Amino acid sequence: MAITRRKFLGWMGAAGVGVTVGKTARAASNKHFTGHPDSMGVLHDIARCVGCRSCEAACNTVNQLPPPETSFKDLTVLDRKRRTTPPEYTVVNRYDATSAGSKQIYRKNQCNHCLEPACASACFVKAFTKSEEGAVIYDETVCVGCRYCMVACPFEIPTYEYDKALTPRVTKCTMCHPRVQEGKLPGCVEACPTEALSFGKRDDLLKIARERIRKDPDNYIDHIYGEQEMGGTSWLYISNVPFKELGMREDLGITPAPALTAGALGAVPIVVGLWPVLLTGIYAISQRKDKVAEEEQALAVAAAQQATQEKADAELKKTLEMKEKEKETAINMAVKKALDEAAKAQEEAAQAEEAAQAQEAAAPAGEAAPEAQDDKDQKQTEEDS
Amino acid sequence: MEKGRKLLRWTGVIAVSTVLLVLGAAAYGIEQAGDKEALRSADIIVIDTMSRFGRLDRPPVVYRHDKHTEALQKQGKDCAACHLKDDKQRLSLKYMRLQDLDRESSMLVYHDNCIACHTETLATGEKGGPITCGECHLKSPNAVSSWQAFGMDKSLHYRHSKALDKKCGDCHHQFDEKTQKLVYVEGQESSCRYCHKQQLEDKRIPFSEAAHEACIACHRETLAKKKEAGPINCAGCHDAEQQLEIPTLENVPRMKRNQPDVVFVKTGAKSGLTPEGALRTKAVPFNHQAHEIYNDTCRVCHHASLTSCAECHTVNGIKEGDFVQLEQAMHQLRADASCLGCHTEAQADKSCAGCHAFIQKGLKGDTTTCRACHMEGAPAGSEITGKPEEAMLATMLLNARTPVMGTLPIEDIPEKVVINKLTNKYQPVEMPHRKIVQALVKGIGDNKLAANFHADPGTLCQGCHHNSPQAKKPPQCGSCHGEPFNPEEPNRPGLIGAYHIQCMGCHSEMGIEKPVGCTECHKEK
Repeated sequence: MAITRRKFLGWMGAAGVGVTVGKTARAASNKHFTGHPDSMGVLHDIARCVGCRSCEAACNTVNQLPPPETSFKDLTVLDRKRRTTPPEYTVVNRYDATSAGSKQIYRKNQCNHCLEPACASACFVKAFTKSEEGAVIYDETVCVGCRYCMVACPFEIPTYEYDKALTPRVTKCTMCHPRVQEGKLPGCVEACPTEALSFGKRDDLLKIARERIRKDPDNYIDHIYGEQEMGGTSWLYISNVPFKELGMREDLGITPAPALTAGALGAVPIVVGLWPVLLTGIYAISQRKDKVAEEEQALAVAAAQQATQEKADAELKKTLEMKEKEKETAINMAVKKALDEAAKAQEEAAQAEEAAQAQEAAAPAGEAAPEAQDDKDQKQTEEDS
Repeated sequence: MEKGRKLLRWTGVIAVSTVLLVLGAAAYGIEQAGDKEALRSADIIVIDTMSRFGRLDRPPVVYRHDKHTEALQKQGKDCAACHLKDDKQRLSLKYMRLQDLDRESSMLVYHDNCIACHTETLATGEKGGPITCGECHLKSPNAVSSWQAFGMDKSLHYRHSKALDKKCGDCHHQFDEKTQKLVYVEGQESSCRYCHKQQLEDKRIPFSEAAHEACIACHRETLAKKKEAGPINCAGCHDAEQQLEIPTLENVPRMKRNQPDVVFVKTGAKSGLTPEGALRTKAVPFNHQAHEIYNDTCRVCHHASLTSCAECHTVNGIKEGDFVQLEQAMHQLRADASCLGCHTEAQADKSCAGCHAFIQKGLKGDTTTCRACHMEGAPAGSEITGKPEEAMLATMLLNARTPVMGTLPIEDIPEKVVINKLTNKYQPVEMPHRKIVQALVKGIGDNKLAANFHADPGTLCQGCHHNSPQAKKPPQCGSCHGEPFNPEEPNRPGLIGAYHIQCMGCHSEMGIEKPVGCTECHKEK
């Protein structure tokens, strides 16, 4: 359909203005979510971890997970880096940190229970919830097995039971949410012998971490990992070697994952709500205009047609009248002519008769009768027409 | 398709693939360059004389000095081949010039002389150095300097003074302002570094120049006389391995420089030094002679001059001391020159770190520790005048101290301590308590510093039995350490954590490897 430049610009301008009318969308409610008040967290002091795997064993017991292939007392599994798997909500890995000399450093890896979780943001069936206690909990009854959460997690934590495709289930650390609600400690925290894991309110843990760093600045790196990474996590780490050497990403930034898409997603309602109405309106208006124009045109055409018709009728009438007149005139003339002729004929006939009488005395009267008969016939036909 | 469009499309494809290939090859190329082992040498000098004139057109040249010295030696040439003599017959440390020149001449000095010599050497058929631009001005020179700083310590100094028959004036000099000349004043010898700093100041040449001029010149002369002398090449002093080969004396005889044996640390008040400040704390008797033994150089404490600290570091701080007050000069934890700084460093030793890694460092505001130095019976700091009687008093006070490790009688130290508070998964721990205490005492040995601070018998026990008053029967761990994560005591571990952090922490700090794993300390149930 051909569209004029003016129309096109008009539509675009209206659409653009429509979008700016809405406010910039933000994740959650305000500027920055710092966690539910009094939400709990865990502080992992990497300097204290000795790689004993008691936390893994306790997690296995508390969550009633299947027994592992190699016993938790077997420390040779630390020879290779492991990631979380469906029956292993948490793993301890060993790192040969170059900056600590030949010392071996151990770190426990598990869901970090972000303040604004990427998994919750990516899940379109709302399987993940950030609970008030701080844990990010998962509802397997609504899960459809799309695994967007696995894609979204910047720490690559959620694991999936691929062998049970029809009952999709994603597994990850739950921060022992049921136990925490009862006032107990998470399994791993309770089991750690060197108190490399501390449990408490996230704000308190931050203070404890800062105090530990302050007391021993030559030992600890001056940074609490998780304080701001990805908008803040409930699982905090302090370490005596750079975090990069422990396989922890330092390129994540402080923007929470939902905020990365909040802008675009926030624009969707306004676009979906406003644009159809606006654009339809504009379309309708421009169509109406056309329609009105069409109607007017039709009217005008009709009027013109009618005028023409009347004019034609008038002319026709006039012509007919004229013709009538002419016909009358012609008839009159013809009649007159006929009368004249008749008169003339009569005169002649009279003359002829006289002559004839004169002659008649010499000829029959039959021949003059057909002539008079013809004249009479002519006169009839002319009167009829 | 039109011919033109087809051509365009193929040009595009070729252009893109060329770009990708070049980038890929470049990346690969960089990796390959990094594979080669970098050359490590102590004699590497980066010639960037031209950097004074702004941006360099070519990368600075990585120059190997020792290589050239060796090569020239083979040719029968010595330092004078490249280093010109000034009017005082001293070798200039610059190359082929006595002073720095303008831009063009500076460049030509190097180009003309270096390339000429290289070309000559090549002409004789020997291996010569580079001739073309890019061979000297390497974009990515694969050489890393392994240069280590070097200085005089008391052992080396003794060997020098012996070799020179105690003719101190051969090396030590001062600048006389009146005569504007260098003179030698006996009794006022001090470190070169007190005057010769890192940079050129007025007419005072930088320390590196002074050292090279003085040391190498003398070594060369001595070698020329066919006597034993120190190195004249870079690596001889500045290569880490060769530094270890320099002979050192174990017991260096004391250097005589009119220093005191035992003295009260001057505080600057009423002692003929700066008049301000009235130090009311008890003065510290200081065994200067003993401390000379503990340090390799005088510079460790006398970092700017061989005088009393209080001359620059007054009680309230003056400009000469960079406004560092006397208290900071004596107690600052991170300064080598401060008393507390050096003592705290000593605590990092493996025999001490087991306890001291966990004890808060620095001033604790606790009278007992202060009294270890600010002794009872000493006069107030403001009363110290420097009279000889004071030295005697100081000596008496120090002798009254018993620098002997205080330990409780053996029967008061339990032999075994059974820790059976938490026995869910493991059996009780049978801790060899007496053995541990005795090992700690043995580790301290006859260290006087430790003995001074651990003279009280109960002090050593407080390494583990901490945060409680000293006692023969200290409180149990469990009387303070209970449930973990108590918000009222955020920094106090729970009982399990306390046991493991204390025991395993101590072992880790002291480098003890033996109890490995869980079951060596407590067997499974």
